[in-house]
Amino acid sequence: MKRLLLAAGAVLLSAAQAQAPVLPLRIADITGQAGPCAPPGADLPAAQRAYVELLAQRLDTDVLSCPVADAASAARALASGAVDLARLDGAAFGPVSGETRSILTTRATGDLNRLPVVVAVPRAASAQSLGDLAGASLVFAGAQKANLDVPRRALADYGAADAFFGAQIVARDHEDAATRLRAGQAQALVLHAGAWQKLCRGDQPGEDLCEDLRVVWRQRPVAKAAWAIRTDMSDDRRFRLIGIHVAMHNESPQAFAWAAGEGAAEFEPTEAKALLAQGPTVGS
Amino acid sequence: MRRRSGVILAAIGLGLAGCGGEAKAPDGAWQSQMREVRMAVRGSEDDPMITRRLTAYKTYIGKATGLPVKLYESSDYNGTIQALSSGQVDIATMAGGGYANVDAQIGDLAQPILTVRQAEGDTGYYSGLLVMAESPYRTIQDLRGKTLGYVDFNSTSGYLFPRAVMREQGIDPDTFFGKSSFAGGHTQAVMALDNGQFDATIIQAGGGDPEHGFTTGAHYTMARRGVVELDDFRIIWTAGPIPNSAVVVRTDRPQPFVDAVRGAMAALPYDDPEVWRDIGQPDGAAYTAVTREHYAPIIKLRADDIAARRAGERR
Repeated sequence: MKRLLLAAGAVLLSAAQAQAPVLPLRIADITGQAGPCAPPGADLPAAQRAYVELLAQRLDTDVLSCPVADAASAARALASGAVDLARLDGAAFGPVSGETRSILTTRATGDLNRLPVVVAVPRAASAQSLGDLAGASLVFAGAQKANLDVPRRALADYGAADAFFGAQIVARDHEDAATRLRAGQAQALVLHAGAWQKLCRGDQPGEDLCEDLRVVWRQRPVAKAAWAIRTDMSDDRRFRLIGIHVAMHNESPQAFAWAAGEGAAEFEPTEAKALLAQGPTVGS
Repeated sequence: MRRRSGVILAAIGLGLAGCGGEAKAPDGAWQSQMREVRMAVRGSEDDPMITRRLTAYKTYIGKATGLPVKLYESSDYNGTIQALSSGQVDIATMAGGGYANVDAQIGDLAQPILTVRQAEGDTGYYSGLLVMAESPYRTIQDLRGKTLGYVDFNSTSGYLFPRAVMREQGIDPDTFFGKSSFAGGHTQAVMALDNGQFDATIIQAGGGDPEHGFTTGAHYTMARRGVVELDDFRIIWTAGPIPNSAVVVRTDRPQPFVDAVRGAMAALPYDDPEVWRDIGQPDGAAYTAVTREHYAPIIKLRADDIAARRAGERR
């Protein structure tokens, strides 16, 4: 009997732990004027209502709209626990990056994933960082978006726009680009990480075809805006929020149109600090 | 005593119901319903290391969902298909042809939720007709009357899709080749070709396109493992692009499970790029959400194929 009661107690305890109270989801709404969090009013535009109702139904909780004056106020409200989800830009996110993290951004129609970009130099070169490549000649792996636009955007996000470098060659593909680097036609090779992986992966076990090269920089483009949460949000809610948002363009186009804005094709997950440059920007 | 125990347990149940109070399901309720996540994986994928690497993936999904993850390994395509169709597993990754087979069996009870978008923006791959480099075959027409190895009846790139494209090109794959049979997997197909059992075999080719060449597929993986020499093979014909494999879930599982697992998997390349690479996904690729519509052409091919077989027509 005693063992049974102990077991029953354990069941109750674990059930109580598992059944944490359902917390409402409070979303910062940048309206120019601060106000208390409240359920959506009757005057809410239909698309915004669709968004709120989708989240409420899928998270099985109340979704409250919390008017805030601007992005900086939204960030402060997020960090202090007054709201749970806020769309921020880098300037607003920076001061609260210790307590918050980005989880979602949007991918524009026709755009690619936020590809990591690699800058590599010959192993014997003296350059150790992006900053050391001022005036250096570059070779890109082609004129396609993945090979040229995305790498240039990522470099510009870190202060290394076109003018930072010297001559720039656009090769036929990643192998041609590497050949040109090795032939001394350029001082640095710029590739998206997938092309770098293809270039360096050998056909034999453990073979590295890029042993003669050295990566001096690897980053994704910085997100211009992202939806952020506090870092103490449970994994369950964080991943459910991501899972609902990434499928929203298929499941509720009206809600998606309101939440993602014009020109967006879909929500895309992000790393925690996607709104900030990770590492030094050139000249900083 | 047994009766009293039952009373106590019933009281606990009532107590819990009372604690719940509100109509809304409490956080954690869906985990109580699921208790574990059961994922089907192919045990004999073209890289056996993948199965071992799935351990990190299992850990990630377990942490994300807060549930233990059980991997169900299947040595063939049909095992994965039947595991999902029967409800033995909650989630599986399978090629479009496999999903089409599941769709034919259980319809809306299964739903594709994610596929991979590659760095260049593509969401597809190709079938390649592979021959030995030293062979005289240069085009598919050179293979009239020769032996052909398919991968598996349920393989999209190794059976379903290339046959449909051959028919579009005026080649009846059942009469054009002298003899055809199933190798059982991509690795087995390449091995059989290498051993001289076939004159040609159909394999998956990815990481590129017919114009620029390919970088992934069974013979590339096998070459990296030192099993074969890449230079010993040539691709002489391709078909595609074919929609990339789908992550497919059972729709009779709690919606929060579907949302959580979709979110966790979609976040993986950003949250944990090393695990992303460990499960064989290329850098720069990421998951994108899909629906049944994405696989509609494959579903139609499979339906046509099944209908033709049922009608007794050899295709």
